[in-house]
Amino acid sequence: MPETLPQQATLLVKLHGQSSRHIELTQDTLTIGRKADNALAIEDAAVSAHHARIVKVQAVFFLEDLMSTNGTTINGRPITRHQLHDADVIAIGQHRLVFQENAATSAAAPAPFVDLDHTTVLRRTDRTPDGPTLAVKVLVIGGKTDRTEYPLTKQVNVIGSQDGAVIRLTGWFAPKSAATIARRGQTYSISPSKGTKALLVNGTDVVGQQELKDGDEIEVAGVTLKFSAHSETKNTSR
Amino acid sequence: MADPALGLYVVCDGMGGGNAGEIASALAVEKIHAHLVEAARHPDLSLVGPYDATVSASANRLASAIRMANEAVHRESWSRPDYVGMGTTVVAVVLHEEVLAIAHVGDSRLYLIRNGTIQALTTDHSWVAEQILKGFITEEEAERSPQRNIVTKALGVESSVDVELAEVPVKNGDKLLLCSDGLTRGVHPNDILQILSGSEDLPAMSDRLIVMANEAGGHDNTTVVVVALRDELQAGLWERLKKRFVA
Repeated sequence: MPETLPQQATLLVKLHGQSSRHIELTQDTLTIGRKADNALAIEDAAVSAHHARIVKVQAVFFLEDLMSTNGTTINGRPITRHQLHDADVIAIGQHRLVFQENAATSAAAPAPFVDLDHTTVLRRTDRTPDGPTLAVKVLVIGGKTDRTEYPLTKQVNVIGSQDGAVIRLTGWFAPKSAATIARRGQTYSISPSKGTKALLVNGTDVVGQQELKDGDEIEVAGVTLKFSAHSETKNTSR
Repeated sequence: MADPALGLYVVCDGMGGGNAGEIASALAVEKIHAHLVEAARHPDLSLVGPYDATVSASANRLASAIRMANEAVHRESWSRPDYVGMGTTVVAVVLHEEVLAIAHVGDSRLYLIRNGTIQALTTDHSWVAEQILKGFITEEEAERSPQRNIVTKALGVESSVDVELAEVPVKNGDKLLLCSDGLTRGVHPNDILQILSGSEDLPAMSDRLIVMANEAGGHDNTTVVVVALRDELQAGLWERLKKRFVA
């Protein structure tokens, strides 16, 4: 059985021209519309007779638009059926409803409420904070490329003439892909592509793959590049 | 599923009562494939969802396909009362030239076997995996944890989904293993490596993996796709889908 939650989910109701109030979402269904038979009746011609409803499925709430004339949005996006998350803003015409999940956020293990041998889904909203980042780029020292400096923004950065290559080779005989610089976490390594005759880092032939360090000089397919990596710490607020 | 012409390999592991899980996973696989087939014919096909500039167009297209599959499963889950709450994990790759685009949602995994080593290229979207990352529990404790089956993301549960994307270079001689958690719960990666090394008989290797998963008490229908990257661009492959052994 699911654990009972210490506080009910609520809806902060701000109807146009009225002061705000709270409604506790205790029932399985909360109907919203112009007619008086709705749990939340809104007197407004722009609101359909039966405009929308909030439905509770186990411990999760969904908002459903009931084919209303003017539609329903969550955080500005029109929806037909959508799960509600804490702080979502529902808009029906000029009226606003803010969904507020119960306040209990627990660091304890969630109790699984179905058979342990089958996978169940848990909703999570926290995100891990950013760590220090590297400003990484490649500088062109010699050879034909379309720019002289390339920040390495991708996980796989192709050195070649193909579409999508980050370090674009423009020489007549430039191969589609001469080598790739791949990022894994904070580490960058270079490996030759199929058909590449020679890939040198600091004058030494690379077989397979080699990690790149700040200042390394790369020679391949007639171009010479310098790898540059400086760390900078980002201050992010959660 | 596998479509070597597209370089697409996918494993989906469904969740839900009765046969809803099978419905969800089959639908997801079908939609992912269909979107990529269409994109191959019409490269200007618009993308669904935000563009990730750290990966290639191919990877972004794969993410787009997965988001479409999510919408389809989500819609379908409302069509019948016994489908409500159904969902599926997904792990999918697209191989293009020597670059592998990787996308996943949930706890199905991708392993890379190279030079006698095995390495997971995806981290599970599961509650225990997050606890391990935070240092609260060890992997051994995770395996025994009553919360080990709780997934933090899946397709079909909400109308939009956050797809994790990555991209790595791959080379001749590499092998890829896509699998549902039915395999990884019961079989140690070293044993998986043993089975996948030193042989090119992909069907036999896939079968052995399924047998080991079931011997280890796998309750799930275990799904595996094994891909061997060979020289002439194309990948040799075998897939063994949903092999269910009745005890």
